[in-house]
Amino acid sequence: MNSAQAKPKVVFEAVSKDFERRGEALRVLDPIELVVREGEFVCLLGPSGCGKSTLLNIAGGFEAPSAGRVLIDGEAVSGPSPQRVFVFQEYGIFPWASVWDNVSLGLRHLPKDQIYATTQQTIDLVGLTGFEKSYPMELSGGMKQRVGVARALAVSPDVIFMDEPFGALDSLTRLTMRAELIRIWQTRKPTILFVTHDVDESIQLADRVVVFSPRPGRIAGVVEVALPHPRDLGSNEYGQIKNELYELLGVKHAI
Amino acid sequence: MIGALLVAAACAALLALGARLPTAVRRWTSPLCVAGLACASWHLACVLTNTPVFPTPTRSFAAIIELGRTPRLWQDVTASLFRVTWGFGLAAAIGIPVGLWIGWSTRAFEALNPIVQFLRPISPIAWIPISILWFGLGDVSAGFLILIASIFPILVGTTAAVQNIPQVYVRSAANFGLEGFDLFRRIVLPAAMPQIITSLRIALGVAWLVIVAAEMVGMRSGLGYLVSDARNMGNRYDLVVAAMIMIGLIGIVLDVLIRRLQEFDEVRWGFAKR
Repeated sequence: MNSAQAKPKVVFEAVSKDFERRGEALRVLDPIELVVREGEFVCLLGPSGCGKSTLLNIAGGFEAPSAGRVLIDGEAVSGPSPQRVFVFQEYGIFPWASVWDNVSLGLRHLPKDQIYATTQQTIDLVGLTGFEKSYPMELSGGMKQRVGVARALAVSPDVIFMDEPFGALDSLTRLTMRAELIRIWQTRKPTILFVTHDVDESIQLADRVVVFSPRPGRIAGVVEVALPHPRDLGSNEYGQIKNELYELLGVKHAI
Repeated sequence: MIGALLVAAACAALLALGARLPTAVRRWTSPLCVAGLACASWHLACVLTNTPVFPTPTRSFAAIIELGRTPRLWQDVTASLFRVTWGFGLAAAIGIPVGLWIGWSTRAFEALNPIVQFLRPISPIAWIPISILWFGLGDVSAGFLILIASIFPILVGTTAAVQNIPQVYVRSAANFGLEGFDLFRRIVLPAAMPQIITSLRIALGVAWLVIVAAEMVGMRSGLGYLVSDARNMGNRYDLVVAAMIMIGLIGIVLDVLIRRLQEFDEVRWGFAKR
């Protein structure tokens, strides 16, 4: 894949963010410059409180930057849009609606038969066939998050923002979900911005890992992961990238 | 006296045995045993104090049966239920939409919450003279008092329910382009529904609670009227207690009925399973 030749999809132009606290401006994000290309899978990696989620919320249109702007397809983001869908860590899906109603949420404007076909197709894609009538409280954590992913995919968005979507899952389910996400990403090829604080997760998923340093958030470095999927967690290259990321994070690898 | 002691002993034994009984059985026996113990102590207290006026449990239950033989009891029960139904129904019909509005709109909250909080602590009993002045003696007055009593739990509960909707739901909705009535119907109302149901449950309890006060506005029927009437007609305390028991029992039935609302698929998520 020639991601270097693909056109820019999400462009951060000197995006910074200050929060007001007791009359004082608290800097959360130093100006961020970043270009994410079409179809690229980019992980934003950093410790909690480094502003990576804030940056994602700005890109998603849920928060306004204090300065700078985010361009998607050359247009400045001014609010949320079904073309760019957010997958939240948990509770993002609606507990009062069945799996079917959750997934079809964004398809309201389509003709009935199209809603039906797309919903079923997306539910099948994320492996929830047979659970259409179930309610979220009847599902496991991993299945709930599949619903969240399906709801996002159903509207065929160009860009998917994921804010630590697998953070609440156990480590085995998390591995399965990563593999599933890569499979789905390879099928649909949306542009994905994925926030995580898990180094392994970022290497397993991303084309590029953008490492953030904490308070105020800055880009400490960008690491290309040019390994083919499925990625071998035991390979030398994997270990090298891991070392590189730990170094950028300022954490000793061996404890 | 010996009978009461035997009942008390049997109930205490059955309670002590509770842990060994199957849960399904215990769920019925434990509350019944507590009721049995309460009745036994009540009876003993009557016997030991040798009271001339206070009725024993046997006399009180006999009074219920006596009332039940005449059409009076059922007329009183239906009259009270009728007043509570429309007082409470009106409270819900006004309280839920207004609460949704106050909860959703910051400006409505700023403007209206102070007056809600100002009116809320005024007892419905204080409204009795005004109610009679406005609506005269009759069903309208009684219904109005029940409305006053039960609208505030609904109003405050619904407002809080909307204000507590997690941001992530609102953001998800915005992300998928939901707005206006669609946003309200598909997100705001269902997200707030469990807490609204809880507030309805509390409000129905309050509505039934004030039935005695509400029927002081010159009503000639109803369980509340029965309480004051029985005392006035020659200190029939057995009828007073009989009416109180009926009010309590119907209160349980009402609560069981309204709790059924919690079992719908759309709201089950809001009620923790133990």
